[in-house]
Amino acid sequence: MQEHFNQEIESLKTNLIKMASLVDEQAGKAFNALETGNVELCRGVKAKDLEVDAYDNLISTQCENILALFQPVATDLRFIMSALMINNQLERCGDIAVNIAQRVKKTREHHSLIIESQILEMGHSAKEMLKDSIDSFIHNNIELANKVINSDENVDNLNKQIFKFLVAKMQSEPQLIEPCAHLIVLTRHIERLADHATNIAENLVFYVEAKIIAHKKKLEKLERGEIH
Amino acid sequence: MNTEIKLSIKNLDAYYGKNKVLNNISLDIPKNKVVAIIGPSGCGKSTFIRTLNRMHEVVGGSIKGEILLDGEDITKIDPVLLRKRVGMVFQKPNPFPTMSIFNNVAAGLKFNGVSNKKKLTPIVEKCLKKAALWDEVKNDLDKSGANISGGQQQRLCIARTLAVDPEVILMDEPASALDPISTTKIEDLIFELKKNYTIIIVTHNMQQAARVSDETAFFYMGDLIEFSDTKKMFTSPDNKQTEDYIRGRFG
Repeated sequence: MQEHFNQEIESLKTNLIKMASLVDEQAGKAFNALETGNVELCRGVKAKDLEVDAYDNLISTQCENILALFQPVATDLRFIMSALMINNQLERCGDIAVNIAQRVKKTREHHSLIIESQILEMGHSAKEMLKDSIDSFIHNNIELANKVINSDENVDNLNKQIFKFLVAKMQSEPQLIEPCAHLIVLTRHIERLADHATNIAENLVFYVEAKIIAHKKKLEKLERGEIH
Repeated sequence: MNTEIKLSIKNLDAYYGKNKVLNNISLDIPKNKVVAIIGPSGCGKSTFIRTLNRMHEVVGGSIKGEILLDGEDITKIDPVLLRKRVGMVFQKPNPFPTMSIFNNVAAGLKFNGVSNKKKLTPIVEKCLKKAALWDEVKNDLDKSGANISGGQQQRLCIARTLAVDPEVILMDEPASALDPISTTKIEDLIFELKKNYTIIIVTHNMQQAARVSDETAFFYMGDLIEFSDTKKMFTSPDNKQTEDYIRGRFG
């Protein structure tokens, strides 16, 4: 049943790529709005999310059917497992793009604060990570996946810096508490987007190299006794 | 979507003497689909498919109820003509051992009065190609049908069945005596053949049923327990007995 099975796998991969393109488009619109302060650019982000959700259900069903009907093993099994996990990550990324768009609308009058706080740098990095993680999946590109994984720390550091900056801003200029609170939530969304991109890249490594690398650094620290 | 029905089975009971082995079976077999029949040993799977080309009568069985082929009652069709329309492939490859590969495929046609080699040759080639065997045997057509591998013998039997241009092919565990590679070839072949034929396959191998069929019927102790879309049956069957059986937790 190789031919039939290959057709099913091809169809699954095509749907994942279509879903990833939608998510990439959603994130692109949200980040463009963030960068330019033009909230009109967010238009359609929420509508696209419904399409993403439909793909989420379709891909879950496809994976269930392939597992039930073909009982894949080895590389094929890892592909289905990765597809299920990547599907889940992409669906979350779609939701996050909607959340980012909403926060952009709420902070539209504070663009200078966005620029000053380095949120644009953080957004740019997260957006690149998402795009690279999708490309790594499409082309089975381990090198690109590793680049994504290694970029996550930079986004985490930016998140911490921005948090400190915004807290200080709230203390020094209490009239900015509300926009700063929105921006803290916004950066949290961006940080989660980068995490999901990292997870996509880790799942690609699992598929291609049969290695589970998620939580690797934390587990190594635990082993060395550096976490109590 | 309107599905064309190739075989319609209505209230079918089957007997060996007084012993009833199938109870009130009703199901429709759609055209150009693969229907798998699954169930534990003795559940009536093989008996069921043998009723469909009246082979059940050959072993002393009898039936009550109705079996319609394109709407026509099969008991009104001459058994030889019926078996031409509803061919059968058995568990153990059974090529005619004294015949060449060519003559094995041509046997059914010769039996039906076609003896001109010019007419036979293109049909034999076409059937061996359809059975995905041509490339492997095209230079050995005069070799005995018994001197090829088990997997090749089974595909030869499929080619022999195709030669008389059937509409329905019944397969009684066609891959159970074969190694995994030959099994894959047979399964790929079934997938290809359904474009032109309606196929009913009995299998003990549930994974095979899941892989090859569009619809699956689960039989138990002569009863049809569930008949549904294969995807549905292997993901969310309606009946608990079916679920227990496909999960291997039967009894």
